[in-house]
Formats: sequence, C-alpha cells, structure tokens
Amino acid sequence: MAQVVLKDLVKTYGSIYAAKDVSLTVNDGEFVALVGPSGCGKTTTLNLVAGLIPITSGDITIGNRIVNDLDPKDRDIAMVFQNYALYPNKTVFQNLAFPLQMRKLPKSEIETKVKDAAKVLDITHLLERKPRELSGGQQQRVALGRALVRDPAVFLMDEPLSNLDAKLRVQMRSEIKRFHQDLNATIIYVTHDQLEAVTMADKMAVMNGGLLQQYDTPANVFANPVNMFVASFIGSPAMSLVPLQATTVDGRTSLTSSEGWVLPLSDANARKVAAASSHKIVLGARHSTIKLHKSAVDGAVPARVYTVEPTGDITFVQAFLAGAILNISLPPTAQVAPDEMVWLEFDQDRIHLFDGETEMALRAS
Amino acid sequence: MTSTSATEAPRSRRRIDGWRWGGRIFLVFMLLYTALPMVWMLLTSIKSGFAAMQFPPQWWPNEPTLASYQKLLDPQNSVGQDFLRFFWNSLSVSVVTTILAVAVAVPAAYAFSRFRFPGRKFLFFAVLLRNMFPAVIFLVPLFILMRWLGLVNTHGSLILTYLTFGLPLAIWLLKGFYDNIPYQLEQAARIDGATRFQAFLYIVMPLSVPGIIATAIYSFIGAWNEYIYAATFLTKNEQLTLPVGIQRFFSENTTDFPGLMAASFMMSVPVVVLFLLLQKYFVRALTEGAVKH
Amino acid sequence: MTIHAGHAGAPRKALPPRPSVLRQMWTSRADYLYVLPAIVVMLIVIAYPVYYTIDLSFFKTPPGLQLKDKIFVGVENYTAILSSEVFWKVTLNTIIWTVASTLIAFVLGYAAALALHRDFAGRAVLRAILIIPWVISAVAASYIWKWMYHSDFGIIGQVLVQLGLTDRQPNFIDNVHTVLPSLIVVNIWREFPFAMIMIMAGLQTVPEQLLRAAKVDGASAWQRFWHVTFPHLSGVSTVTILLLAVANFNSFIVPWITTGGGPSNASHIWITHIYELAFGRQRWGVAAAYSVLLFIIVMSLGYFYVRALSGNEKKEEGP
Repeated sequence: MAQVVLKDLVKTYGSIYAAKDVSLTVNDGEFVALVGPSGCGKTTTLNLVAGLIPITSGDITIGNRIVNDLDPKDRDIAMVFQNYALYPNKTVFQNLAFPLQMRKLPKSEIETKVKDAAKVLDITHLLERKPRELSGGQQQRVALGRALVRDPAVFLMDEPLSNLDAKLRVQMRSEIKRFHQDLNATIIYVTHDQLEAVTMADKMAVMNGGLLQQYDTPANVFANPVNMFVASFIGSPAMSLVPLQATTVDGRTSLTSSEGWVLPLSDANARKVAAASSHKIVLGARHSTIKLHKSAVDGAVPARVYTVEPTGDITFVQAFLAGAILNISLPPTAQVAPDEMVWLEFDQDRIHLFDGETEMALRAS
Repeated sequence: MTSTSATEAPRSRRRIDGWRWGGRIFLVFMLLYTALPMVWMLLTSIKSGFAAMQFPPQWWPNEPTLASYQKLLDPQNSVGQDFLRFFWNSLSVSVVTTILAVAVAVPAAYAFSRFRFPGRKFLFFAVLLRNMFPAVIFLVPLFILMRWLGLVNTHGSLILTYLTFGLPLAIWLLKGFYDNIPYQLEQAARIDGATRFQAFLYIVMPLSVPGIIATAIYSFIGAWNEYIYAATFLTKNEQLTLPVGIQRFFSENTTDFPGLMAASFMMSVPVVVLFLLLQKYFVRALTEGAVKH
Repeated sequence: MTIHAGHAGAPRKALPPRPSVLRQMWTSRADYLYVLPAIVVMLIVIAYPVYYTIDLSFFKTPPGLQLKDKIFVGVENYTAILSSEVFWKVTLNTIIWTVASTLIAFVLGYAAALALHRDFAGRAVLRAILIIPWVISAVAASYIWKWMYHSDFGIIGQVLVQLGLTDRQPNFIDNVHTVLPSLIVVNIWREFPFAMIMIMAGLQTVPEQLLRAAKVDGASAWQRFWHVTFPHLSGVSTVTILLLAVANFNSFIVPWITTGGGPSNASHIWITHIYELAFGRQRWGVAAAYSVLLFIIVMSLGYFYVRALSGNEKKEEGP
C-alpha cells in the first residue's frame, strides 16, 4: 500500500479544462472519495491517476515514484469500473487470472491467488461461469476480485455501485467498506452520490467544473462547506439557500428579504457578514436546524408550505421563503398542510452565511 | 362495456388479419420470384441439350440426366479439365484475398474506431470513397500498373485489386463492430498489466470474431464473383477464374444450355453454402456495424 | 462589416495553446501503423489510376496506334462526348436503370423484411432462400435470366404463350423497348435481398417499448409502423438506398453478359458504354474523358454517401 500525491494536475481537451490544478494527498491506507456532479472532472482525475489518459501538466506520485509517464500496467494500481468491465468471453476464473497472467506468474501461483481472492469475496462457486450469467452484485464482486488478486498499491474505483439497484447498493457499500478496513487498502473512489462518499470515505474531495472545491473529512465538509456549491451538493435533502440583503441599523446587523421581513443576526454572524464583499448575502440552513412554528414567534420569519412528504420516521416539508424553497424536517406527528402559512426559526449557531458575489462561505474576520 | 368490447374485438382482429394475409401473399410472390429462376436453372441442368430446346417446353425433365455435371467434373475430358482448373483458380484467389483483407482491415478498422490521429477522418472518408468508384474507371490504368509491376496474367493482380474494392466496406463493418466493444474493457486490461497491443490481442480480438467472420464472407463472395478485372488482367486460359472462364467457354458453345446451367449452379454452390452456414454472423455484423448508432 | 480573424477565440485568453498538428502527428505516430497497410494499398490502386485517367482524357489514341503514341487534343474528347447523341441516350438509360433498380429493390426488400419480422414456421428457411440471389455470382445470375428470356426457348415467354396472353414467343432482350425493363427485373432480383438484410438488421433495434406504448395509445398496425418503425429506420434506409444507388450506378455484369449494351444501345449504361469504348473500340482517350465525367458525378454522390455513412459517428472521448 502506498501514498498517492497529486500536484497541480491539469488535463485539457483542446481548449477545455477537464481538470485544473488539482492537488491532494491520499495517505497510505486512506479511503478518499472524489465526488461531484457529472462532468466535474472526478473521473478524468481518476483516469489520470490510472494513466489511461495522458496528463497535460502536473505530477502524480504513487508510493515514492513519479508515475506521470508510466503505462497503466507499470503503476501498480488496480481499477474497478462502473460497468465492471469484465471480459465477456472469459470465465470468472479467467477474468481473475488475467492480471496475473499478464505479469507472467506461474500457473500454480495464479491458481492459489485466484482461489484465495474468490474465497474472500465469496464467489468460489461462480468461478466457471461467464460474466453474463451473473447478477449485478456478483459481477461487482468479480470486478473487486480482479482488483484484489493483484495486491496493488492503490485501488481506483469509478462509480462501482451506480449500476446496482438501491438495496444491493447499500449492501455493497458496507462490503467495500469492510474490504477497505480488512486490507487497510489505499482507495480512491469516484462517485456522484454524495451519500456514498459521506458514508464510506475517510476524506472526500468535492469537485466541480474541473476544480477541487474542498478536501476534508466528510464531517468537516458537512459542517463547514467552503462555498455554496459544496453546501448544496453535500447533504440530503440539500442545504436550503436563501438570497438576502445585509443591513446594519444602529450597529445591529440583520438580513432583510424582498418580502419585507427582517432577520436579526447574532454577534458572531454579524462579524461574518461584515467580511462580505457586498450587501448580498446567502443564508444557508440544513433541514434539521430549522424550527417550524404554526403561529408568529419572535425571531421567526413567515413562509408558505409548498409540499409535505411523510417518509415514516421523518416528515419533510418544503416551504417558499423569499423566492427560494426551503427543506425542513419534522417529526412524523407534525400536522402541516400545503399552502399553510408557517413561521420558521433559524438556529443562529448552525446557519451558514455565504457571500452573494463570490459564493464563498463567510468566516468571522 | 361488454357490448362495446364484443363489437370492437372482431373488427380489430380482422384488421390484423388483413395485414398478415397481405404479408403472406407478398412473401409467396417473393418466394416465387426468387426461387423459380434457381429451380429452372436446376431443372435445365439435368436435361439433355435436346430436351432443353423443345417446344412446348418440358416443364419437368422426361429423362433427367447428370451428363452435364459429369462432363464438367471429369478431369479426363477437356471441358472438365478447364472447369476444374477455373474452379481451383477462383478458390485460391478468393481464399488469399480473404486472408489478406482480414489482416489489413482489422488493424485499420481498430485504429479508425479507437485512435484520434490527425487526418483520421479524412483517411476514413478516402477509404469509403473507394467504394464509390466503378471498376471500369480503374481498368486501363490498373492494367498498365499491373504490367509495370509484372503482375499481368498472374493471380496477384486480382488479389491486389480485390483487396482494394473489398477493404472499404470491410473496414466500415469492422469499425462499427469495434465501436460497440466498450473501451473500458481495454482500459481494464491495460491496468491489469497488458500493453495496448496485448489488450487488443487478448481482449478485443476474441470479441470481434463475428465481425471478422462477416468481413471474411464479404471478401470471399466479392472475390469469388468478380468478373471485370479478371476479364481484363487475365488472358491465358489456364489462369482464368470461374466467371470469366465460363463466359469465354459458353460464348463459343452458345447452345449448350444444360451445361451452362450446370456450370452456373456449381459456381454458386460454394458461396451459397458459405453464406448459409455463416449468415447469422453477417446479419449480426450489419446490425452492430451499420445500424446501431 | 469587418470580421477580424481569430476574433472568436480572443476572449478565451486563459486557455492553453493547442498543440500544433505536426506535434500531434508525431505524438500519435504509432497509431498510423495500424492504418498504414490499408493506406498503401489504396494509394497504389486509387491515386495512380485517378491521375492516369485524368491525364489520358486529354489525349487522342487513333485506332491502330499504340497507347504510347497518344496525341494531345485538349478538351476535344469532352466536347465530342457532350455533343454526341449516344451520350444522352446512355445517360437516360443510366438514370432509369439506377433509379428504378434502387427504388424497387429497396421497397421489395423493405416489405420482405417487415413480412419476415413476425415469427412463423419456416421463417428461417424462407429468409435464407430470399437471400440467395444476392450471394450467387452475377455472371451466373445473368446466364440464368438470359436463358429464361431466350427468344425461342425462354420459359417466361413460354408461360405467357401457354396462358394465352400472347400468340408468339416475345423477345424480351432483343427488343429496344423491353430490354431495359427486363434487365432491371434481373438486377432487382439480385439486389432486393441486400435491402432486406439491412432493414431486418434495423428492425431488431426498434425499441419494443415504443411499439407497446404506441399500442397502448391506440395506434393501429399501420400507425405503429408509420410513427415508430419507419422513422426509426430512416438512418439505415438512407444508407441502404445510397449503397444500392452506388452499386447500380456502377453495375456492369448484368447488362454486359446478357446483352452487351444492345440492341442499338438500348441497354447501354455508362459503365458498359465506357468499357466498350475502351476495350471494344480502343478509343482510350474518349473512354478516359467519360471516366472523368463519371468521377465528377460519383464524387458529388459520394459527398452524400460519406455523410450518410459517417454522419452518426459518435464523438467519443478518445484515448
């Protein structure tokens, strides 16, 4: 196992940046998720690490070697693909054996290693089958197995769960997590599903538009998103963002809406707003931090209920506020009806404030 | 409810029946159009020369005879000698052409499908355009070129020419095939330790076998049936291929219709058998290559 | 209005420079190895003949002279062709031949593919039989039909006589009025299977869900065909028609073997005419000029052909 360092990685296609100045360090034995919407550059970054596409500039280090110009086969990596990329004309055994044959291992050793890997992944009974005779979950395991037999320095995984049905995905999620823990493997895992990243990874790298937005532990990314993109991408349902104006009257800073209501800010939040580049402020709040009142309460702002979605243990309410839609979670006992007027109270310690111009999170100056 | 569905159902069934019957009648017509000439070829080939030219005709031969076939296949007889030699010439030219066509088309189609080198589009168009040019345009210059290469009156001239007219469609068919083999498989192979060439050899090649078979059939049939170049490049009797040989022979024996039909039949047997055996690959290659995009 | 060169690229100044074509060619030099064999063969057999034909079209080769004793005559060959009566007759024949063969073969093939799409007993056998005419040698096909059209013993005429439709055995291919349609029948016989195979292949890709959705929406069999199947097959239909048109425009064997272009040029099409001029009458220069004209027509057809063949080429992310 090894450390992977990306330094100022750039990939361009003609005049388009697929990845721009991506720098991050994956420590030995760490599980890092690259997460972002489609086209954000996460798969490009993974392919650069794999050596499947040449880099435009920057450095990739695996272990202690700079691997920029090495062939994929010489980088000591294994990769699990979104569609598994199992060789359709080979049996499961031959699929697992292929990477070892390419390394010219003796037949007996190949046999032992394949059998061992098959045992770990519980696919021994499938060894003589062809990929098309396997279920999605079984194919997924074979793909993992083919990566595993190699005992590589790094595992690269490109959306390995996205073709599975919801139930199987949850199950495989925990299996991959076990896989990581048991092997103490270094894993770089690409996904567009922020929930996968949050639940599995030690660290997550949030990407958008070819740029690395934030690289931190899931807890930190969730608690302190650096900008509006990360805030709205991580968490489900998404963090609600409400565009407002900052006003200061008699030294008291408040946020005012186009609807006329005023939300006074705490001192700590007022100091953050003072650092903003303009009066445009975006208020962010996660569904669980918003309190809903059925009648006017001091410090609460009026909103109109749009939809009510009971899920059993939580009821999600969407409400219109200052032209934005807010997500609020309520206990299942709550009685709210669409089009009802409600009053929302924000927790001053847990709201997020963003600069309306730069979209960056505001920090106390 | 019940009354409406009761009146609706028979009407819609009748309409579908109309379509089905129309289709059946049409298929019967097509079967007759297709098969009757071939049936008449076979019936004529087992008549005597006299029986073939009677009025009114013998629909069914009164005294069927295999004399025409015996004559063509008898190595003791000069007609048989010629026919067997033509047959052998056609076979060897077609087989060599097929092998070379596959050997050249496979790497080219793969490159057109996978690589993005400058000029790739232009080259592909050039390959396709070759398909558009009629053979006649190339006859005189090619004849001179072949003379310069010393290939006149050799089968090499035919093989070289057949290669070029077979290649464009062969490359196009195969390219469509490679387009449908996920690139991820090769990426996986390269990560698994294969070089680009090994990935091609161990992973892509086995998967493209149906496409290669289709390309091979196409090349073989094209070479087997070709007439115009063979008629131009070959002058010596012992070099001729079947289409030219038969044409030369029967332009001197204009009334031996049973013999002509027997020769036509035997000339058709190899390609028809080959095609019928492997037609599923051909249809599949067309589906993968030409249609799915 | 002034348009500044490079204006469009100007605002994106932060972008990296595109590598030069030469550099790209150098970095992908290994890729060329794969296409090299194909290109070399093509160059020998295309580039040289094209050059030679254009060159020869400006020369006269009087009968009796060797090819090497050709005389430069400028565009005389071209003017001679365009002012000759035969040229226009042959051109009309070629148009009738190409359009009729292509359309009828396509429609028959299309209909046969549709009729064969539904499963029934014996379908595979029937399909195989219908394909055979396409596979067998055109020389054999020409002889079979020539025999069936024979002026004394041709079975088609005999059947017509027996049915009482005509008193005398009709002479199909020695008659200026019937020869071209008769040969078109032969040509369609050989070519409709190709259209049938292509459309059959296309039919397999029509999404079953769409057809079911249309059924649920209350569409009749004809409406389902017209609104779902037919539009879905438009791509493959275009390619098929173009391939057939090119093949017909270039066809040679059927008219040459059955009639040799006669009687009195009634079944001559461009290709057979050029062949006769060159190899029959040794008028190489005129034949070459004909070929160049043919070139120009073929090239303009070729534009649509290439567009149809590669029009849907995927813009995949290259390695």
